[in-house]
Amino acid sequence: MKLQKSSKLTAYNRWGYAFVAPFVIVFAIFSVYPVLRTLYLSFTDLKILGKGNWIWFDNYKRVITDKFFWRALGNTLRIWGVNIVLQLGLAFLLVIIFSDVKYKMRGLPVFRILYYLPNLIAATSIAFLFNTLLDWRYGTFNILINSIYKLFGATYNPIDWIGSGSTAPYTLAVIQSWMWFGNSFLMLMASVQGINREYFEAAAIDGANRWTTFGKITLPLIRPIMMYVAITSLIGGLQMFDLPFLMVSQSGAAYRDVQTVMMYLYRFGFTTGSTQTGYASAVAYMLFLIILSVSIVQYKFFNKER
Amino acid sequence: MKTVKKLLSLALALVMVLSLGVFALADDLDPEDPAIADLESIAEPNGDKLVVWTLAEDLVDFGKRYQATTGTEMEVVVIAPEDYPTKVQTALVGGETEPDIIVGEPQMLGDMFSYGAFADLDALGAQDYAGQIVDYVWEVGKDDSGVQRAISYQITPAGIYYRRDIAEKVFGTSDPEEVGKYFADYPTILETAQTLKDAGYRIFSSDSEINFFSGLEPWVVDGKLNLAQARLDYMDLVVALYQGDLTAYANQWSTPWYQAMSGPVPILTADIQNYADDSVNVWASEDEFAEATEGLQQAEVFAFGLPSWGVLTLRDNVGETSGLWGVCAGPEYGMSGGTFIGISELSEKKDLAWDFVKFCTLNEDVADWWITFSEGDTVSLKTVLEAHKDDENPVYGGQKLYAFWQEQAEGIDYSKVTPYDKIIGDAWGAAISAVKTGVSTKEEAIEEFYDTVAYTYPEIEIER
Amino acid sequence: MVGYKIKKGLLYAFLVLLAAACLFPFLLMMVNATRSGVEITRGFTLIPGTSLKENMDQVFKFFNPFRGILNSIIVAVPATLLSAYFSALTAYGLGFYKFKGNNFIFFMILIFMMIPGQLSLIGFYNLCSKLHLINSYIPLIVPSIASAGTVFFLRQYIISSMPPALIEAARMEGASEFYIFNRIVLPISKPAVATMGIMGFIGNWNNYLLPMILITKNEKMTLPVMMATLRSSTDIQRNQGAIYLAVAISVIPILLVFACFSKYIISSVTAGAVKE
Repeated sequence: MKLQKSSKLTAYNRWGYAFVAPFVIVFAIFSVYPVLRTLYLSFTDLKILGKGNWIWFDNYKRVITDKFFWRALGNTLRIWGVNIVLQLGLAFLLVIIFSDVKYKMRGLPVFRILYYLPNLIAATSIAFLFNTLLDWRYGTFNILINSIYKLFGATYNPIDWIGSGSTAPYTLAVIQSWMWFGNSFLMLMASVQGINREYFEAAAIDGANRWTTFGKITLPLIRPIMMYVAITSLIGGLQMFDLPFLMVSQSGAAYRDVQTVMMYLYRFGFTTGSTQTGYASAVAYMLFLIILSVSIVQYKFFNKER
Repeated sequence: MKTVKKLLSLALALVMVLSLGVFALADDLDPEDPAIADLESIAEPNGDKLVVWTLAEDLVDFGKRYQATTGTEMEVVVIAPEDYPTKVQTALVGGETEPDIIVGEPQMLGDMFSYGAFADLDALGAQDYAGQIVDYVWEVGKDDSGVQRAISYQITPAGIYYRRDIAEKVFGTSDPEEVGKYFADYPTILETAQTLKDAGYRIFSSDSEINFFSGLEPWVVDGKLNLAQARLDYMDLVVALYQGDLTAYANQWSTPWYQAMSGPVPILTADIQNYADDSVNVWASEDEFAEATEGLQQAEVFAFGLPSWGVLTLRDNVGETSGLWGVCAGPEYGMSGGTFIGISELSEKKDLAWDFVKFCTLNEDVADWWITFSEGDTVSLKTVLEAHKDDENPVYGGQKLYAFWQEQAEGIDYSKVTPYDKIIGDAWGAAISAVKTGVSTKEEAIEEFYDTVAYTYPEIEIER
Repeated sequence: MVGYKIKKGLLYAFLVLLAAACLFPFLLMMVNATRSGVEITRGFTLIPGTSLKENMDQVFKFFNPFRGILNSIIVAVPATLLSAYFSALTAYGLGFYKFKGNNFIFFMILIFMMIPGQLSLIGFYNLCSKLHLINSYIPLIVPSIASAGTVFFLRQYIISSMPPALIEAARMEGASEFYIFNRIVLPISKPAVATMGIMGFIGNWNNYLLPMILITKNEKMTLPVMMATLRSSTDIQRNQGAIYLAVAISVIPILLVFACFSKYIISSVTAGAVKE
């Protein structure tokens, strides 16, 4: 009896191959080949066109010894660190508010779409908007602060939010969070709504209060999705590019404090006058290795209690 | 699944509605189109076809006109400038025989020449036309070994655009020759800036306006980085302008920078004076932030440094101050931008393509039409510039701008421009910004600049 | 009870304030679609301008937005549907079947999510060029069958919310594996599939880099590629209004899809679904 059941189970499991087959085939054709080609290029000194020479690990040596690469990595981590705390913090706060069994907040469909709106605005428009609002001497933001200072008879020495290296990374992190918290919220909320109501009802019957319910039921059940959100935020964050690229001028003083790894890569991958495809490929693989190692730590963290 | 069905039917309905719209809007030449409306007749299709990939919308109009004149069908694909090099590059790697016509801006040409994107125009007879185009433009289109590969229909020399009324008040003259003397060299510019500030004005909106005139020496000479004295002088000038509170602190191409073209702008300074001011800053509608801007200093800007296409930018933005502007020479000759047209190495219709290149760049009638059609843009054909040298531009107090641009263009020495200029120039700009804002000392900033160049271009030799 | 109401009111105030911060720039963008380029670069306002007609003419001078929308629909709708269905299929396969290579495939999915996408661009173009797929929509649609991120999300979701008892029960009643997937797993995963569907649609709709490289015929360009041509004006400022108008046009289908499908992101495992 037992034997029969296990062989039947194996028979079921064979269906797994059929289910993943389309994915694997398409994946092998359209994803694996380009990525392997990039790997090959990272060992050559190819500039733009033609055939590069095989130069073994010279590109990788150059990345590792370049202080600008490490500085770019530091910048990326700093912007990402602030960003992720704000973004996920806000998303979690909203999840807690909307999933609260006592308050039963309404209007989720409307709020969900409103919170997602910043993500629908093209990055170029966002960059232009905030560059204008946060302008040092002319921006509405500083002028408002100034008038508040004046109300109290104080003098405001305007802060150059985007132009100064000491504030620009944090300004960018805040804007980035504003753009993406709706996205995180959407995913986390979807997973909360996937939780079987019976669990909550059972908890309510047992007399659990809201925080016990949240901590004992909601959190553990959405843990797999939290892992997804955390890892994709990490991947997205470490590949941060458009906002700093569009908002901070390459000839500005703040550039050295906001140049991210992706911007560093872009300089060699796609910039006229400095295209070095082979080197850019090596940078891409270095970035990949860094993302990979941080992800492994994260994965271990989320999986340790399973 | 219900969702899927709904989505599919929605999509289907949309496709049907939209396809109606698509068929109602054919792509044939419209005889009323402004680009060809002046032509007496439109040529019948002759069965030939050219594919153009451009980063400037101008070529759409050139294409329409060529099709109407010759009957060759023109397919003009416009690609955003920042993606243009990548797009052409991938197409050529893939061995595509389309496009026939490709273009490039001066800073892109070095790379594009080096990987062989552009066909040899000399083989098609380009040298027969040597001398007809303004010299520097002709030079820009040559590769390292002197082969002609691209030609531009425009010249783009830089000039200083200034307010005649302010010049009259402060310097007692509005004549471009005379005002030019106040911009003769960097120390003079600094003095001029102080004079203007004392009179209640700001010399420039941003401190980068002199950038177009700072290309005295090439950045790279024989594979060596060349940080000339003139560059250091330029750094000192910008730092002095900034720290002396002499500009209006706007960033080039930012909202306040444009605003300053039409009149005074309220500026937030550390030491706020109690001016009553009811104009608004970045809020265009009246009163919205009026109370917030109370007590801000007024800044009225005297001059902008821009290439010849700035004529159009100012025309659109000067508002009430139209007619009060003039253009004079800067401390050096300078240029920026311009679309250069050439033929793809892989094109199978090179002769036809060459005919189109000639049409855009070497045809007097077309150049004549372009001056009228673009309402103020330049051309590169010497004879046509000469013919229009007495045209007066009302925005600029009736100044004869074509004569001025031709004169400026003659002074440009293109051998000073290298493919590295954009990146090295930006790195130098970052160094200047670091010094002026007090983030680094001059020595630190220069070291950082050397490092930046060294990491971007390992092949460039640097003597520190 | 009064405290409860005040607290609830405060929470709503917070939610509304946050919503305003998100809505405001969006409105500015919409208003800018009705203003001229010169007005836009001079400053903001929430009062609509009078240049809608001019901006529309300018857009039409560069491209036909209806054709762009049509092309984008032809690409984005099949891509989103394929991605949603096959990702759910793969996710279920990975999450609920134990077979050799299962972990390896999941590991590869994670790895490939971490590789910066832009750099495989040239390799991807080479591939399409060899397969004669330049100017074809196939490279824009078919690869979405293998959307690594979506598979990852759905796998996590299915693991966390799919009761194994339900599948066992269906098997007992003799249901085939595909039947189970289509009739039980897919409906239960609806919130997640809808979430990923919406995001996938937005991603496909806004996808710029690949179509920009692969499509070279004007009449086949998708909307974002057409929109980018507005930036190629010699004097970019004059096209600002038209750019905003194009953005506004391109956002409308996204909002429609969002409004239609976000209602599926709801609690789907009702008490009745799990009987046994």
